[in-house]
Amino acid sequence: MKVTYNWLKDFVEISLSPEDLADRLTMAGLEVTGIEKKTDDYVFDIEITSNRPDWLSVLGVAREVAVVTGKRLKNLRLPVASKKDLGKKILAIKIEDKKDCPWYTARIFKEIKVGPSPSWLRSRLELVGCRSVNNIVDITNYCLFEFGEPLHAFDWDTLGGGYIWVRRARPEEKITLIDGTQRQLNNEILVIADKTKPVAIAGIMGGKDTEVSSQTKTILLEAAIFNPVVTRKARRYLGISTESSYRFERGIDPNAVGLATSRATQLLQELAGARLTYIGSTTKPKTKKVIINLGLDFVTRISGVKVDRATVKGVLKGLGFIVKEKQDKKECLVVERPSYRQDVTSAVDLVEEVTRIYGFEKIPTTLPAVKPQQVTKNKLVFISELKNLLVGLGLQEVITYSLISPDILNGIFDSKEGLASINNFLNKEQKVLRPTLLPSLLDCVSHNIKQKNECIAIFEVAKTFQQKLDVLKEKWCLGIALCGTDARLTTQGLLKEEFGWLHLKGILEAIFERIGLLNVNWEMNPVGNGFQIKVKEEVIANILKPAVETLNNFDIKNKEAFLAEVDLDKVFSLPKKEKRFVPLPKYPAIVRDISFVVNEGILIKDIIDRLRQEAGGLLEDIKVLDFYRGRQIPEGFISITLSFIFRSSERTLNEEEINPLQARVCQVLEQSFQARLR
Amino acid sequence: MSELNIEEVAQRLEVEAKGIDSLDALENFRRLYLGRRGIIAQLTSLIPTLSQQERPVFGQKVNSLKNAILEIIKEKELVLSSKGDSSSKQRQPLDVGLPGIAQPLGRLHPITQTINEICSIFIQMGFLVEEGPEVETEFNNFTGLNIPQEHPSRDAFDTFYLAEAGGDAQAKNRGEDRLLLRSHTSAAQVRLMKMRRPPLAVVVPGRVYRPDAVDASHSFMFHQVEGLVVDEGIRFSDLKGSLQVFVQAVFGKKTKMRFRPHFFPFTEPSAEVDISCIICGGKGCSVCGFKGWLEILGSGMVHPNVFRHVGYDPKRYTGFAFGLGIERIAMLKYGINDIRLFFENDLRFLKQF
Repeated sequence: MKVTYNWLKDFVEISLSPEDLADRLTMAGLEVTGIEKKTDDYVFDIEITSNRPDWLSVLGVAREVAVVTGKRLKNLRLPVASKKDLGKKILAIKIEDKKDCPWYTARIFKEIKVGPSPSWLRSRLELVGCRSVNNIVDITNYCLFEFGEPLHAFDWDTLGGGYIWVRRARPEEKITLIDGTQRQLNNEILVIADKTKPVAIAGIMGGKDTEVSSQTKTILLEAAIFNPVVTRKARRYLGISTESSYRFERGIDPNAVGLATSRATQLLQELAGARLTYIGSTTKPKTKKVIINLGLDFVTRISGVKVDRATVKGVLKGLGFIVKEKQDKKECLVVERPSYRQDVTSAVDLVEEVTRIYGFEKIPTTLPAVKPQQVTKNKLVFISELKNLLVGLGLQEVITYSLISPDILNGIFDSKEGLASINNFLNKEQKVLRPTLLPSLLDCVSHNIKQKNECIAIFEVAKTFQQKLDVLKEKWCLGIALCGTDARLTTQGLLKEEFGWLHLKGILEAIFERIGLLNVNWEMNPVGNGFQIKVKEEVIANILKPAVETLNNFDIKNKEAFLAEVDLDKVFSLPKKEKRFVPLPKYPAIVRDISFVVNEGILIKDIIDRLRQEAGGLLEDIKVLDFYRGRQIPEGFISITLSFIFRSSERTLNEEEINPLQARVCQVLEQSFQARLR
Repeated sequence: MSELNIEEVAQRLEVEAKGIDSLDALENFRRLYLGRRGIIAQLTSLIPTLSQQERPVFGQKVNSLKNAILEIIKEKELVLSSKGDSSSKQRQPLDVGLPGIAQPLGRLHPITQTINEICSIFIQMGFLVEEGPEVETEFNNFTGLNIPQEHPSRDAFDTFYLAEAGGDAQAKNRGEDRLLLRSHTSAAQVRLMKMRRPPLAVVVPGRVYRPDAVDASHSFMFHQVEGLVVDEGIRFSDLKGSLQVFVQAVFGKKTKMRFRPHFFPFTEPSAEVDISCIICGGKGCSVCGFKGWLEILGSGMVHPNVFRHVGYDPKRYTGFAFGLGIERIAMLKYGINDIRLFFENDLRFLKQF
C-alpha cells in the first residue's frame, strides 16, 4: 500500500526524516519496502500484513506513526451533518442477508457540479497510484485511502425507483462494469441492485449505467460493510482486484464508515457544491466489547524481557486500547480493544503489541535449555547415510518434481489403478502424485543427453504415492538411473565403458552390503525386462531396462538406460546383519585360479554352487576373478576365471593335498558344465 | 672380452655404484651399462663369437650382471628420489599437470547440501531431525495451526488438494480430514506435538507444494526446514538466540540480523528475520533491492491456540517455531538466480556445488 509523508502529517506531527520514519515503521511491523521522492512529498510503499486491515488507511498508519514517535494524533475536526436540512424519505434499503452485508449506509446529495478536481486532490491521488477521474469519484477515492472505507457514488437519476437492494445475483443476470467489461453473474456474487437490475458488484466495482458523469446532478453515496469471504470469492471469480475489494476482503472498522462519510460530505460540499438531502442506513452492527486481562509477568514469560508497567500501559494506550489496572492487583492490566483492532483476541496478542513497539531489538538473546529427548532409530539418518554412500559410488543426486503427468508412466508403471491425483492442478504435468520415481529420472536423463552430458549416473531419494483403497500410502524410495558412457582414466589409458546391468548391480550390491541386508535374491521380473530383488518373499527393489519405445517417449534415442527403484521403507525395517568378530586365520591359504570357457547359457551361480559342494571341506571361498566375452572366445561362449581359496584352521596345508581337489573341480567343470579348461 | 672382464666389470660396478649421488649420475650409470652401446650390450654381442659350450655359462653370467645392475639402479633410484632433487626440472617426481586417478565421486544436490548444513547446526544444539508426510490433512496443515476456516491460504489457488478417492474415502476425506499436499512444513508441528509430549526440540526438513506458476523465483514444489521448541519457560529471547547461532554458523560471524514484527496465524508474537545482505554487507545492492537486508525466514512464539489444538496446556508450556525456505537460502548462499535450475538437474549445474 502507498501512503505519503505529507498526508500522514495531516494526522500527526512528524519530526523524523522520511528514511528514519520508514525504519521505525518497518521495525514496528509495517514493512516499508520503498521510499520514492516526489516534487514536494515522499511516497512510502508499505507491506501490510493480512491481520491489520486498519493499516490500509492513512489514519491507520498515522496511528502507528504517533505511537512509534511518541506523538498524539491531531484532532480530526469532521463536521456533523445537521438533520434539519434533510428532506423526506426517498430511499428504501433492503438487505437480503445480513451476513453478506452487515451494514449499509447511503447519503443523497443534490445540486452536484461535476468537474475536475483541484490540483492538491489530483496530485495526492496520483502519488498513491490512483488515476483522477472527476471531483466526485476523486472524493470517494480520497476518503477510501484516508480512512480505509471504500465509498461508491451512484448517479441517483439512473437508479430505478428509490430503491437499494443488496442481494445475491440471479444466475441469468449480467452487468456492464465501469471498466467497460460485461460480466455474467451468479449466485455466489453479491450485488447492489435497484428495483430491477444489478447496478454494482458489492465491494468490487460499480456499473457503467449508474456511474457519475458530467451530466450527474444528484448522487447516492454508498458507505457499507460487505462480507470479506463473499468479496474474495467474487473477486477471484471475476478476476477483478480493486482498492475497494482489497479492503473489504480484509475487514472494515465500522467506525471508519462514519469517518469516511463525514469527510466525503465535507469535501462534496466544498468542492462540488453538494447539498446533503437524505441519510439512510441499516442498523449499525454492534461491535463486541472485548476485554482482556494482561499480567505483566505474562509479557516477561513470553518475551524473556521485563517491561515496566508504565511502558506497557503507554504503548497500549497509544495504540488506542483502553487500559485500566486491577484494583487488587496492580500487576494485572484490564485492556479493552478499540473497534479497529478485531485481530486482538487474547493476552498473547497484547504481548505482541507491547513487544513490537517496545522493540524486538531490545529483547536479549538467550539460548533455550534444550533437554535430551527420546531418540528412536531415525529413517532420515538412514537416508542421509545412504545418500552419502551413493555419492561415494560416483552417483549424482537429483531432485525432481513429485507431481507428474500420468502419460509419462507408460511402459514403466502401467497399472493406472491407485494413482493419487490432484484436484486443482495448474497443468497436466502436475496431475498425479507419482507412484514411482523412474519416469522423472528418465526425464532427467533425457535433459542431460540434450545438454551433451555423456556420463549420466544419477539417483533420487523421495516419496512415492499410491492410493490403496481409502488409504494413501506414502513411502520413501530410491531411484537410480544409468545411461551413457563411463570414461575413467587409468595408467593404461582411458577406459571407456557403456553403462550396463553389471554397473547397476554393483551399485546395489555395494549399498545392500553396507546396509547389512541379508538373503538378497535376484529374480527375473514377470515382464522379462529386468529383475525383482527379494528379501525372503518381499520385493524390495525393481531393476529394469526400459523398452526402446518407452525411451523414445522420453526422447532418448539410440541409448540404453538401466533403472532401479528400491523401497526404502522396507529396506529400513528389514533385519540387518549383526556385526560379529571372526578370528583372523592362523594358517596361510592356498589359492588356485582356474580358467575355463563355457556356453553362455550356463549360469555362473549354478557353477559356483555346485563346485562349493564338490571342492571339499578345505574350501574357504570361490571368487570370480575374471570373465570375458569377445575376441579369442568363440561366439556364444564366455571365459571365466575362478579363484579357489583353500585353508585349514588347524594347520598349514601343503600343495599335494590340494592337487586332487583341484582335479576334482576341473573334472566337474568339464563333465557337468561342458567347460573347456584353458 | 673374456670371463675375466666380466668379473672386473662386476667389481668396478660396486665401486661406481657407491659414487652415484644424483639422479643425473644414475642416468649416466644406466647409460654406461644398459645403454644401446653400453657394457651389457657389448658383452651380449660377444656371445656369437663363443663356442657352444661357453655360451650358456657366459650368457648366465651376463644375465646375472644385468640383474645386478638393474637392482642397483632400482635401489639408487628409490634412495635418490626419496631425497628429492629440486635442482632439475626434468626430474620432478611427477608431472603434476597430469590428472590424478581416483574413483570419481558424485555429489549431493545443492538443496540436500543446504538442508544438511542447516540441520547439522540444530542437531549440535540438541534438536532432533524429524519428518512428516507430504500428503497431509487439512487439520494438520491449517486448522491445527490456528488458520481460520475462511483464510485465503486454504483456497485452491494456494494449496493443492487431492482428488477424492471413491467409496468410503469420499465421506471420510471431508473437512478436517480432507487430504492436501502440505503447503508448509509447519504441518509437521501439529503431527509431532500430537504424537509426543514436551520437551520438544525438532527440525523438520522436507518438500512443500503450492500451486504457483513456475518462473525464475517461483516453483510449485520447494523445500523448507521447520524448527520447533516446546517446553516450560521457552521465551522469545530463546528464539532470538537460537536463530542467531544458526545465522552466524551459515552466513558467518559478522552477519547482522534483525527481527521484524510480522504476522503468522500460528505464532504470536511473530517475526520475520532479515540478515545483513551477504553480497554488499548492508550497503545496498541489486540482490537486497538496495535495502541492505535480506529476508530469510519467518518465526515466532507458538500461538496458545495451536497448543490447545494438540492438547498441550498453554498455561504450562510455551514454545517457538520457525520456517526457512531452503531454495532461497541456497540461492543466496551460492548466488543462483533461477529457482528452476534446482529441478532441471543439469549435471553441469549440479557438479558446481
